[in-house]
Amino acid sequence: MTPIVSVRGLVKHFPVRSRGILRRQVGDVHAVCDINFDIFSHETLGLVGESGCGKTTTGRLLLNLVPATAGEIRFQDRDIVPLSRGQMRPLRREMQIVFQDPYASLDPRMTVNEVIAEPLRIHGLYRRDKVRDLLKMVGLSPEHGNRYAHEFSGGQRQRIGVARALALQPKLLVLDEPVSALDVSIQAGVINLLEDLQDELGLSYLFISHDLSVVRHIADRVAVMYLGRIVETAPVEDLFRNAAHPYTQALISAIPLPDPKKERTRKRIILAGDVPSPVTPPSGCRFRTRCPKFAGQLTDDEREKCSTEIPALAERGQGHQTACHYAEALTLI
Amino acid sequence: MTAPSEVLLEVDDLTVGFPTEDGTVQAVRGVSYEVRRGDAVGIVGESGSGKSVTSLAVMGLLPRNARITGSIRLLGEELLGQSDDEMSKIRGNKVAMIFQDPLTSLNPVYTVGTQIAEAIRAHHAVGQARALQQAAELLEVVGIPNPKLRVDSYPHEMSGGMRQRVVIAIAMANDPDLIIADEPTTALDVTVQAQVLEALEAARKETGAALVLITHDLGVIAGHADRVNVMYAGKLVETGTVDEIFYQPRMPYTLGLLGSLPRIDESGRPRLIPITGTPPSLLNLPPGCPFGPRCPKRRELCEESEPALTATTNPRHQAACHFHSELASATAEEVFS
Repeated sequence: MTPIVSVRGLVKHFPVRSRGILRRQVGDVHAVCDINFDIFSHETLGLVGESGCGKTTTGRLLLNLVPATAGEIRFQDRDIVPLSRGQMRPLRREMQIVFQDPYASLDPRMTVNEVIAEPLRIHGLYRRDKVRDLLKMVGLSPEHGNRYAHEFSGGQRQRIGVARALALQPKLLVLDEPVSALDVSIQAGVINLLEDLQDELGLSYLFISHDLSVVRHIADRVAVMYLGRIVETAPVEDLFRNAAHPYTQALISAIPLPDPKKERTRKRIILAGDVPSPVTPPSGCRFRTRCPKFAGQLTDDEREKCSTEIPALAERGQGHQTACHYAEALTLI
Repeated sequence: MTAPSEVLLEVDDLTVGFPTEDGTVQAVRGVSYEVRRGDAVGIVGESGSGKSVTSLAVMGLLPRNARITGSIRLLGEELLGQSDDEMSKIRGNKVAMIFQDPLTSLNPVYTVGTQIAEAIRAHHAVGQARALQQAAELLEVVGIPNPKLRVDSYPHEMSGGMRQRVVIAIAMANDPDLIIADEPTTALDVTVQAQVLEALEAARKETGAALVLITHDLGVIAGHADRVNVMYAGKLVETGTVDEIFYQPRMPYTLGLLGSLPRIDESGRPRLIPITGTPPSLLNLPPGCPFGPRCPKRRELCEESEPALTATTNPRHQAACHFHSELASATAEEVFS
């Protein structure tokens, strides 16, 4: 089976400029560093990581909304990185994005009908009943179409954002933290909607989130990012049962469980320190400055390897890959 | 030494209203609860449920136009109606508060050491040098590396998690009896959240303070509270021990909240059970149960009268539902789908 989108060696550096009038370039933010992944049709790839790890940038790169520094993004067997805006336009029908903040991503001066009709008009596909169908599809009633975004609650706005993204019948949706701004009781409805739409329309999702519980629920495969690199990727069950990278292990163990008895008896890995600056990432393994294994279990000789050699994603079987020299599977929950 | 069951904070029939052009928004509508010495009480609810306003009232930090009635007693002393000066003495000394955003609680132009020392000196007669030394000790308790160097840092030189730990250190500075933490980790990443919660636990251990933990995250509540108050539309709708609330919820809303959570400890992807609809507007609330319009169990009685908190499995496990006895051993799936 060929993937619908396939990313190879993707790199994105943002320039850091000096203050003052010259604004000389004094460095680079290494936002995304040499990442590879595939998304197959009718599949959800969960991309998880903490703030600043490059997950949102990856989502935008995938749609060519920001130009990549290097690498290749093959969408339906065509590299989209060198394409111009004009060349991208017909492809935009196939790939759409839903943003995190439903309060900022909808134009306050447009009615919901206009918001949803806009992409259809741009591509010359506008039909009135189409907008009504889209509203119904996301669980809103067609009468809602004449209202403005501010008249809706957060969950309803996010549904409008999904309807707009679906208007052009895309094959790939990038969902950038689509439920993070919503209360739990509302969030569940939007997650169910996304799952139903995927079944109905055969969509592929790149689901970007910092919330591992949501990702476990919705994703088929998961890629964990840390400081611009993918450190572990695996089918969802395998990742949560046999996490092998110390960072993934720490992430999973840090999630509070809504279960008091399990919480009381749980062993927690607390990471020391904070994420280093992506302007000067650590040499070798980028996680080593916070790695409990590096600090506590390795000998000096073993540490040497962590600080000099960048660990590659190594196959552990059944599509489970880990970028750690001393990976060891651990069951945490 | 006082008895361990001594009541520290007693909130009785508290109401808070905010006048607006369209009428009064009743943010809190008769909340009563107590916090005993050493307790960790979690207050959980969604946006707009009144959980923050309740605690701001306890701290005397509500805006002047707020209409507050009821009673708030701290160690037997009535707090409502106290002047600002009197409240200042109580704040910090007996009660400390930790807010969601540490950057707005810290002063950007002073070093964190100075700010912790200021909190210490506000209530104790010690010199600046001694206070700074104590500041470093407090930073160590909350797990900040190199505390002796870090006292000279400014807030902007620290990450969000470290700033929040500085705020916890300030809260500890005067050995308070009660720490109120309002969404202390909401803005933080999970690995940093774990560090901050660890610091909060350390602070409790060190000071023996009781904790009121306000959050929307049921996972944080499960791990850090002994008792839980669930709020909805400005009222407590269920209260009990953490085990009672999580394993034997007797209010459909609590059940719904638990059912709508995706679980990281469950495989096989059971379908989530959302609660339909949205919370009611607190402006001109209609009669009857405020959760009624979203509740699949509603009957005629629910539209007529608002249920009061009544005892369920035991006198201290209370739920505000006319039909709570029918919810014994019910699952969210049975009730909501």
